[in-house]
Amino acid sequence: MARSHKAPFWFLFAAGGTVVAFVLPVMVLVTGIAPTLGLFEGAMSFDAMSAFVGNWLVKIVLFGIITLALWHAAHRLRVVAHDFGIRADAPVAGTVYGLAALGTLLTAIALLGV
Amino acid sequence: MSRKPYQRELPKTTWFLRHARYKKYMLHEISAFAVAVYLLILIIGLFRLGQGEEAWAGWLSFVTSPFGLILHLIIFGLSLVHTTAWFKAVPQAMRVQRGEQFVPGPTIVGAHYVVWAAVSVFVLILAGVA
Repeated sequence: MARSHKAPFWFLFAAGGTVVAFVLPVMVLVTGIAPTLGLFEGAMSFDAMSAFVGNWLVKIVLFGIITLALWHAAHRLRVVAHDFGIRADAPVAGTVYGLAALGTLLTAIALLGV
Repeated sequence: MSRKPYQRELPKTTWFLRHARYKKYMLHEISAFAVAVYLLILIIGLFRLGQGEEAWAGWLSFVTSPFGLILHLIIFGLSLVHTTAWFKAVPQAMRVQRGEQFVPGPTIVGAHYVVWAAVSVFVLILAGVA
């Protein structure tokens, strides 16, 4: 029987979409909007953030969230390219999944450096 | 033998503006750009955190700049579009059977909203306590 290589990408898309749906709005609120409003100033201070991300459990959870979200966005952007009339799917897929792989690697390096 | 299949004229970049349903579809597909930009900012932030206090302060000053705020507000809006569209589609993707009956769609969607609220409150408490 012919095997499809679509399954792993589809799984990453679905898992990533679920993770993004549940955690992204509140994450954007805390890291992107609250600092300007002066909320959670203590949480976003260098010392508190270093201690928080320094925790191994937090590193693993953050890596999971960011990686799945990256692969979700990559798959969707591939579809968006198709929707805007770009029919060269192979190079598009190579680019978006390549960027997601690069992002996964950079996330791991960044997390290990904290 | 040559054949000339009929190809409907379709504007490549504006076709979705023709119908409210297409516009909605495009809005939640476009949310992927917002997710990608946010992840980029977040990953840079993690690098800056590892580089020391000054680097972190520089990243925070970008986030709190007017441009950073507007960017994050747009990302926040599109993330809400993604969440609501995603939850709406769950009953189509996941059929939950209990006994002889299938759990009705609105119940499944409602459960997702409850979990979403719980996760959000948990993260906010985490941020408030830390």
